[in-house]
Amino acid sequence: MEPVTQNQSPELVALTVKQILEDGNTDTRIVVLKSDDASVTLPIWVGSAEGNAIRLAMERVVTPRPMSHDLIRSFADHLGVRIERVVITDVKSSTYYASVAFASKGVHRTLDARPSDAIALALRANCPIYATQDVLNRRTAVHLDAWINKLDAKNIEPQQA
Amino acid sequence: MPYCRRFLLRVWKDNPAVITQMRVKGLIFDPYNNAYIVVLRDEENSDMLPIWVGKSEASAIGLALESVTAPRPMTHDLMKSFLETFDAKIISVVITDLNENTYFATIHLMYEDSEYTVDSRPSDAIALALRTSAPIFASEKVIKKQSSEELEQWLENLKPEDFGKLDT
Repeated sequence: MEPVTQNQSPELVALTVKQILEDGNTDTRIVVLKSDDASVTLPIWVGSAEGNAIRLAMERVVTPRPMSHDLIRSFADHLGVRIERVVITDVKSSTYYASVAFASKGVHRTLDARPSDAIALALRANCPIYATQDVLNRRTAVHLDAWINKLDAKNIEPQQA
Repeated sequence: MPYCRRFLLRVWKDNPAVITQMRVKGLIFDPYNNAYIVVLRDEENSDMLPIWVGKSEASAIGLALESVTAPRPMTHDLMKSFLETFDAKIISVVITDLNENTYFATIHLMYEDSEYTVDSRPSDAIALALRTSAPIFASEKVIKKQSSEELEQWLENLKPEDFGKLDT
């Protein structure tokens, strides 16, 4: 059991996107999130297009045309809405759930989202990413960290540009 | 749709032949380019505008065309719920320009009695328009640039079964 991370809310743990791994067998990507002290790793499987949207934001790639999450960011900017934070809220039969918190003139709204959209948006809005302690406790794989480290050690094919 | 009418009146007053309302007729897989073509046609079926998009963009449009509700909100569903949450309304989307095979579009929003024009890719604009029942327009400039006879013939030769299918 990890010690409860000190945060504004005791139930939430701040996470950073460390890397996007390619799952060669299936056309999926693994988004690897880590807590600030690197004690907790949360891998989330996403589709290749979703992984790509996150990678573009991670690498601060400026595409010639706005991508879908750039468009959401642009809507928020036009409307004067701030993207406050995203939270990985739940996991049910290996599907992760997330929420995006918005604020506009003192009005706060939270919307249901897939973690891939939430993370892609958070990286573009420079807002924090959290997971609930409950989600982290219920991560599925037991030997996950060891497995990820093994993946790291292997030569992972460079991602397509 | 008073917002829509207001927008149209303004555009038509400036230049009466500048835009044409289009409908999404279908999606075709283009095996030569390993991409999808969104086919837009005007009301009289006289003008056609094919737009090449990637697989995930085509899927976002295909789900809306077939009114499929995904178990989890897709990116454009999130976009729609974001706009609804803050009472912003999409008046229309316009395919505005074509430059070296890159298309440009604008999304026209009404929010707190002001109109906003947001730059977008046509695939995002169309995926969003289909989900919000907003009208889709194309500028004459784009339609003229695109209507090459060869392309029309190529599309004519495609079987009806090729339409509306997503090869996943």
